[in-house]
Amino acid sequence: MLLKPFSFHSPTQLAEAATLYKDLPEVRLLAGGTFLLSNLKSLKRKGLKTPKNVLSLKRIPELHGITADNEQLIIKSMTTIDELFESLLLEDNFKILRTVCRNISTQPIRNMATMGGNLTCRYTWTEMPAAMIGLEARLHFLNGEGTESVLSAEEFFKGGAKTDKILTHVVIKRDKECSIAYRRVRKSSNVDIPLLSLMIKTTFSENRFTNTRVSVNNCVTFAQRDIILENFLNQNICSARITEEALDHLDKTIYDTRSNEYKQHMFRVSIKSALNELVQNQKNKNENSHYQ
Amino acid sequence: MKTLIINKKKYELDLKGHETLLEVLRNHLGLTGTKTACEETECGTCCVNIKGKAILSCITLAYNIEEEITTIEGLSEGETLHPLQKTYLETGAAQCGFCIPGFIMASKALLEKNPEPTQEEMDYALDGNLCRCGGYLRIYDAVIQAGKEMKKLNDQEPRNIATCKG
Amino acid sequence: MTMATKHKFSKDYVDPVGKSVPRIDGKGIVTGQIKYAFDVSFPNMLVGKLIRSTIPHGKIISIDTSKAEALPGVHAIITAKDTHQIKFGSNEYFFPHTVDQMPLESEKVRYIGDEIGAVAAIDEETLEEALHLIEVKYEELPCVVDPLETMKPGAPLIHEARNNIAVILPVNFGNPDRALKESDYVREDLFYMPAAHMAALEPHVCVGQWETFSNKITLWSSSQAPFKCREALAKTLKMDLNDVRVIKLAVGGGFGGKLEMLPMDFAACLLSKKAGGLPVKICCNREEEFLATRRKHGMVYKLKSGVKKDGTLMAITGEVIADGGAYCSYGPTVLAAAIMRIFMLYKIQHFRVTGYRVYTNTSISGAMRGFGGVQAGFAIESHMDLLAEGIGMDPVEFRLKNITTPNMVTVNKMVLTTNGLKECIEKAVEACAWKKKHGKQKHLCCGIGIGIAADVMGSKMYKSHESAGSIVKVEEDGSVYLFTGAADTGQGCNTALSQIAAQELGVSYSRIRCKSGDTEITPFDTGSFASRVTFISGNATLLAARDAKKQILNVVAQEYKLPPEDLDIKAEAVINKKDNSVLINFDKALEICYSFNYGYQIIGRGSYNPKTTPIDFRTGEGNVSGSYGFEAQIVELEVNKETGEVKILKMWDAHDIGKAINPQSVEAQIEGSLTMGIGYTFLENLHFDKKGRPANGNFANYRLPRGFGIPPMECILVETNDPEGPFGAKGMGEAALLPTSAAIANAIYDAVGVRIKELPITPDKIIKALREKEALEKQHNQVEVIP
Repeated sequence: MLLKPFSFHSPTQLAEAATLYKDLPEVRLLAGGTFLLSNLKSLKRKGLKTPKNVLSLKRIPELHGITADNEQLIIKSMTTIDELFESLLLEDNFKILRTVCRNISTQPIRNMATMGGNLTCRYTWTEMPAAMIGLEARLHFLNGEGTESVLSAEEFFKGGAKTDKILTHVVIKRDKECSIAYRRVRKSSNVDIPLLSLMIKTTFSENRFTNTRVSVNNCVTFAQRDIILENFLNQNICSARITEEALDHLDKTIYDTRSNEYKQHMFRVSIKSALNELVQNQKNKNENSHYQ
Repeated sequence: MKTLIINKKKYELDLKGHETLLEVLRNHLGLTGTKTACEETECGTCCVNIKGKAILSCITLAYNIEEEITTIEGLSEGETLHPLQKTYLETGAAQCGFCIPGFIMASKALLEKNPEPTQEEMDYALDGNLCRCGGYLRIYDAVIQAGKEMKKLNDQEPRNIATCKG
Repeated sequence: MTMATKHKFSKDYVDPVGKSVPRIDGKGIVTGQIKYAFDVSFPNMLVGKLIRSTIPHGKIISIDTSKAEALPGVHAIITAKDTHQIKFGSNEYFFPHTVDQMPLESEKVRYIGDEIGAVAAIDEETLEEALHLIEVKYEELPCVVDPLETMKPGAPLIHEARNNIAVILPVNFGNPDRALKESDYVREDLFYMPAAHMAALEPHVCVGQWETFSNKITLWSSSQAPFKCREALAKTLKMDLNDVRVIKLAVGGGFGGKLEMLPMDFAACLLSKKAGGLPVKICCNREEEFLATRRKHGMVYKLKSGVKKDGTLMAITGEVIADGGAYCSYGPTVLAAAIMRIFMLYKIQHFRVTGYRVYTNTSISGAMRGFGGVQAGFAIESHMDLLAEGIGMDPVEFRLKNITTPNMVTVNKMVLTTNGLKECIEKAVEACAWKKKHGKQKHLCCGIGIGIAADVMGSKMYKSHESAGSIVKVEEDGSVYLFTGAADTGQGCNTALSQIAAQELGVSYSRIRCKSGDTEITPFDTGSFASRVTFISGNATLLAARDAKKQILNVVAQEYKLPPEDLDIKAEAVINKKDNSVLINFDKALEICYSFNYGYQIIGRGSYNPKTTPIDFRTGEGNVSGSYGFEAQIVELEVNKETGEVKILKMWDAHDIGKAINPQSVEAQIEGSLTMGIGYTFLENLHFDKKGRPANGNFANYRLPRGFGIPPMECILVETNDPEGPFGAKGMGEAALLPTSAAIANAIYDAVGVRIKELPITPDKIIKALREKEALEKQHNQVEVIP
């Protein structure tokens, strides 16, 4: 399909890119292209307005790469999902990112789609938003004047994922103590239409749930936390009974507002499954340390 | 002017900037092996290889490519078929053939990274390709057999004496 | 290198029939060099697009193309006034009133996407701009989208047909009411099967060129029935057949969607004429594919049947309503097939099923692979399991008691000769260890379904005959050309036919080159549908090869002064049948034929018309096929009661194909059918919005099965060696698609006790059914407790 014409820009300097992004009229950022190009085709098909300028971030070296140290993991925004998946740096709490990556779309898309694109495209069917909120990630931006700013993932999505800045990198603090479960509910195992992305992160302290984060996406417009479930879990001990009881302590506005009976059922099945995983892992850890 | 290196050949193209790689391949260069069945990232028939990865040419801007591109036309060497081309024929994986170039390119990306993939790894690597005629089972067979062949060829390659030195 | 050294005669020769030889066009496929109509491009070629209705139902008041015509780069615009306004359809012979579609509509539009004109321009951008400049005024009429609503009095009339019923097919035999009264168990079931789409990967595409000096058309097309396309083009353009040439190149899948001329084929030709002879290419994008090509009939099937305690099937009655969309296409034939399949499978004397093919303001239903048998298969085979359960009989036993047998004539006069159905069932049952698994109510359980392949509606598919022709031409160096009108759309018939030609001629498969589906060069063939090609085109090829052989042997006999009937060609050599001695090798024989003394061109000719009788649509009687293929399918699966997910563990398909010309191709086709069946059972559901537009007309929302969803499949080939088929072969390609949904539904019932009567079987339906079952059981238990 022939796209509607636009001017193509591909700077090699981050500062130049930031300035261009500010100054160019009707400009869209090109990261991996999986969202943008599909969107351009869709706009054309519907006879809607298309951007005059496309700004590619591909040739900017500072936007590529993953680094890690004892404190944190830094994922540059042009890192592809596949690169993230293959990274040898995903240890401790970062390991869950491998599961998240696996659940994203199909292999060619994973080869092309980027971290930055997945977070900023404002498209509902994305995986990284819930994961970043769950991992308490901090998003770093650069504006047209060259000023850096930082926003937590939660704040970013609370604001509707709107930004006129360039997302440069994502920073996640290392956490060796926490337990994380991730679920992605599809319409069916063969139908890759996501109904729910769910991350539950907690730190078991004397077998109690502490600092629990429950983040969800796909059943809501923008990823958010289920505070009601978090509060419930934080008041409780890790036990099999809790996974059943937890279903009575959900933020129903998240799960039940636009969902039919089956979806509501599947959300609860997944929450239960994720909690069971955490409980079981903790149980295994306890038994192992008992034998040591 | 944009320079693209496709199947080890250099092309100087007079492009406007909004052409996808798929268009350039099919309409500008007559390399019609790469197809499209949906133009919406679902079918995988537009799959090519860039930097050893399976890439969808229908959502890749030609202007945004710096690296070398390999298409289905670049696989055989004269009359000699690539192991994947051989095995796709031998197992009966190719029926109408429309999906085959895309499948072969996705398979090539997989096998060059890992010539002995598990079923799960094949499921993941080929989940972006559709086939409407066949049952996929023969495609998996073809991939496994080609992997064995490619591993053998890799193992047989003469070792570089320089790298052996301590 | 001479032919002789290339083909290693005699001692290296292997009979090609029965061998999984590589595809004859295989190398072209894997190198990406084979050309599809999708790839065709010419210098100065224009691109074309159809002007489509934006409303579901209405009268066309005016079409103003003046602004578009003035746009630079626009070469031609056509509307109905540029045409002869001749209707076309696919059931001319028996139902002339169903020939109801104009190439370009002039008075009314009947669905969103209906074609009213076409534009040809130098490039896509100009084309799109031109389309925007075309002003169409409609008088919108109310529309109806639901197939049950459309039959009610007061529904908007789409054509002239009363109650929007295009065709009513009442099929009656015996005295079903009495038979039901005499039954020990009677039950009634209602089944819903949705519309679906062929979703071939190559879209519909064509390039039309009008040779202005000779008034001759060439159409390069992705057609699976080039001769039918030619016929329709000739009719609607008022031309002689030999001035219309349709060339089929490689086709990226058809599945029944490319069986007919579509308005785009017509438009490409006429636009080319108006553009002074420049070629015009029209290609559907995926959205247009779903919107305005062909689709599968959605059906509602009501069945009420009776059985005796001993398992004898007494009577089958019912009703089937097929949602045909805006025009008739193959509707009546699909409807007939949906009913008549029952007779091929079960011995039944008392029968009353009435079929209704209705119009709705949605896209047109045609003949998707299975010809109505897929929808019918789900209904009938689920119903059979339920009947068996009603009398406490094992589903396998029930079927074995009632299935048709070899060498019998059905109540509607179908002549079943070879019939491997019993063997298929028994082999499938054995292979899957049925007795160990079925009825054990564990979550690991088996279900069975049976299906049929026949040249279903073979007679009267075309105007008057259903024959196929082939030519086998042998060159002076011993190379062989096979010209066949058959249309290989990927199923491998070029290969199979080449194998047949090679074996009959007595030479290696590697000598054969095959040219197919070009109406100017190849003999007539109705096309690829109804699983007919191996049987009908195969027989034509066999006869052509036999004729060529005879011609060669006549010359050799003359040369060596031997009676020609003593000679034969075997394993690349001319032999004397009397003592099996080798006279000369094949190449030498050809040298003689083409030598100065003889100069005899070897052109073998074959024409084959199957022994069928026309279907009498008033009674449902007729022997539709020269041979019938059968199959039985068993599915083993697991149901997750918490999520409603079904995981198929394995599928067994035992298929009576007469003889497998190319076993690998046969198995690959079966596996493809099973995969398509999995798609229709779990995933595919083409549904429409209130205006009849596809609500999920793209691959993101219309999900097709992918590799990771496919279970292991075991294909069991049963060879009954049909006496009429070429080397014993019968048709195949569709049968394995027919019982899949029912086999799965039956297995789900066996596993968790819930019966799903509506496709697709999605997890939410299973959860709902499980909940209802639980509630019923609770109620039942509560009632029992009260003394």
